[in-house]
Amino acid sequence: MTGIASKPLLDSLREIVGHDHVITKPEELLVYECDAYTLEKQLPTAVVLPGNTREVETVVKLCAANHVPIIPRGAGTSLSGAVLAVTGGIMIALTRMTRIIEIDYRNRRALVEAGCVNAWVTSAVKSHGLFYAPDPSSQPACTIGGNVATNSGGPHTLKYGVTTNHILGFEMVLPDGETVWLGTTPDGGEDVDGYDLRGVVIGSEGMFGVVTRVLVRLVRAPQAYKTMLGVFNTVDQASQTVSDIIEAGIVPGALEMMDQLITQAVEAAYKFGFPLDAGAVLIIELDGLAPSLERQAETVIGICRKNGAREVRVAKSDQERMDLWRSRKRAFGAIGRLSPNFITQDGVVPRSKLPEMMQFIGECSRKYGLRIPNVFHAGDGNIHPLILYDERHKEQVQRALQASHDILDKCIELGGSVTGEHGIGVEKIDFMARQFSTEDLDAMRMLRRVFDPEGRCNPHKMFPGSKRCGDFALRKQAAA
Amino acid sequence: MVLTASNVAEVAQTLSGIASQKITGFDLRGMNRLLEYTPEDMTVSVEAGITLAELQRQLGERGQWLPVDPPQAENLTIGALLAGNKSGPRRYGYGTIRDYLLGIKVVLADGRTIKAGGKVVKNVAGYDLCKLFVGSRGTLGVIIEATFKVLPKPETEKTVSATFPTLEALADTLEHLAVSSVVPVAVDTHNYGGTTTLVACFAGPSEDVSWQLGCARDLGFREDASFEYERAFWNSSEPARCLSVLPSKVVETLRQIEPKSYVVRAGNGIIYYRGGKEPDHPALPRELMRRIKDTYDPKHLLPELPW
Repeated sequence: MTGIASKPLLDSLREIVGHDHVITKPEELLVYECDAYTLEKQLPTAVVLPGNTREVETVVKLCAANHVPIIPRGAGTSLSGAVLAVTGGIMIALTRMTRIIEIDYRNRRALVEAGCVNAWVTSAVKSHGLFYAPDPSSQPACTIGGNVATNSGGPHTLKYGVTTNHILGFEMVLPDGETVWLGTTPDGGEDVDGYDLRGVVIGSEGMFGVVTRVLVRLVRAPQAYKTMLGVFNTVDQASQTVSDIIEAGIVPGALEMMDQLITQAVEAAYKFGFPLDAGAVLIIELDGLAPSLERQAETVIGICRKNGAREVRVAKSDQERMDLWRSRKRAFGAIGRLSPNFITQDGVVPRSKLPEMMQFIGECSRKYGLRIPNVFHAGDGNIHPLILYDERHKEQVQRALQASHDILDKCIELGGSVTGEHGIGVEKIDFMARQFSTEDLDAMRMLRRVFDPEGRCNPHKMFPGSKRCGDFALRKQAAA
Repeated sequence: MVLTASNVAEVAQTLSGIASQKITGFDLRGMNRLLEYTPEDMTVSVEAGITLAELQRQLGERGQWLPVDPPQAENLTIGALLAGNKSGPRRYGYGTIRDYLLGIKVVLADGRTIKAGGKVVKNVAGYDLCKLFVGSRGTLGVIIEATFKVLPKPETEKTVSATFPTLEALADTLEHLAVSSVVPVAVDTHNYGGTTTLVACFAGPSEDVSWQLGCARDLGFREDASFEYERAFWNSSEPARCLSVLPSKVVETLRQIEPKSYVVRAGNGIIYYRGGKEPDHPALPRELMRRIKDTYDPKHLLPELPW
């Protein structure tokens, strides 16, 4: 649907943001045809790169007057097709609005533009002993605005919580072009009367408006870390260790598992020194005040040993700790060594069901004849199976999709959720009706109508019955 | 009328049956079961009529707790806790109830039962409707069930205080505390007993607590303390006013409003007080709030927005 934006509209957009900041050439639009979920692709009609809130507001008003869909976009690192222009439309990319506007060290908050990269916030405040807690693996690239849209997590959410726990308030341009501030204002107290509109927008996948400025909470950096690598012969032993650590009343900063396949790939890529013959490794990071860390670490090591750990290594320096985390966070990148393509899922199960879930993933791997490495937030019960396939073999795509769907169904069956971090986007639309009743979905649609009565902001996402890209319909057919 | 019910069907029936009468309050004390508690998952599901104190008692048997401490937990139902977004001194260290709510079941004004969220600690499937109902004062639906994540109880907890002749002296210590290495779970200021007092509570592994108590002593916290002032303040029949300001502006604000009595979550900048001047009310996105109310309760059967 390329006729959606007339030449006069594009000319007006150029007038608002400047000629260089409107992209319409197909070859330049290619960057914006998908996010990190690449099974479905569609070019937006045009991409607009506004430089400030006023420009966003004017662009949104113009699109509203012309009844043209708008798609807010950050860095496009999302994993579920959340920024896909399903039927075309004007994509509003916030990547020019990257400033850290103000840092209030005393009150531990920072005001940033929506396009500010996640990792920049921590870099800016680190010297004051503060940090911005949510740390998705994409943090060197992803934007705070994108984090708000998807309610991003990361390894350290086990102790520190996810994005919604760290966003005080934000400025948002509603789909009709009105600008509102929701939640705590930059110079206001943290409690705000009225409905928690801040809370309902976070995680709404860009369907309620365009977030332009964000007030984030800064957290006191831990005094000390104790980062351990537990080496196990089996995934079962590692899973049991996760449960036992939690049961012992210890809340680690992070508790991550990597199975043998992924450990081997990561080792080949980054040469951290992971054992290649271990069934699973656990990264266990304790953080907080220094005095108790030694004793807590002893308890954790004891639990690892009791569950058959072959070895528990303790990071000897900050450098070693950073190297370990770099390897973990770039794990997805190492997959290229194993397979040309992969599908990743991020379902969640109750922690106590992890062993059962891991066994099920193993069965899926055998059943569909596909390798499925696992690297995930074990402490949260948030799995990340990576289903490896080669898109040149059509029937492999089909098997990979089927395995992925079986795994998500199992998450629901075990009382969990189909997504803990990545969101529904277009990818998991079909699962919404399995996880929620018609009434539940209606209650969500009601909220959508409040913010976007026309359903014009990031359309065709989240809800069953939404339009899909033509290309994907074909693939699905091939897979059926 | 007060909506009184002992099961979901009664809630739905009452809502569908009323035509002209308006619901002004809720009594769900008949729905007070603990539905599911999995200590190894650190999650618990309850009916909305159970009191916070009873829930804490049951969690306590397994060494866990729901880390919120609003006043009058003995009479506070989970439904009221959520609808009022109630909090207490330890919110400085642990956050508020919306940080712990994983899932919710609500009867909407038209009698339909919906759920939002789920039972796992991380979940971004669909909009976060849980947030819509926390603090909504019963204006959008009747909360009937809730699932929370819970925490292990801290190994040790210790509360200490310092008293000050003037608000200026208090301000100095507050600033020192803000930049020190300690991580208190509560930082309160009050004038119970006629003296300006600053209270700090430390919780966690015993080594950490002792170390912090040492630091606190150097900052002037010399006396053992308790949260007795909380009980005294909230037991009054005179309603308290509330103001939320930047934590750095607590003392300045106290000087401006000249309260008769006050309890301040100094770490968070939340001032509860009686006497003194009226607080200013900041602007709210009222149009959006009104649209939400009209969408979820088109016939306005449920209580009106109090703001």
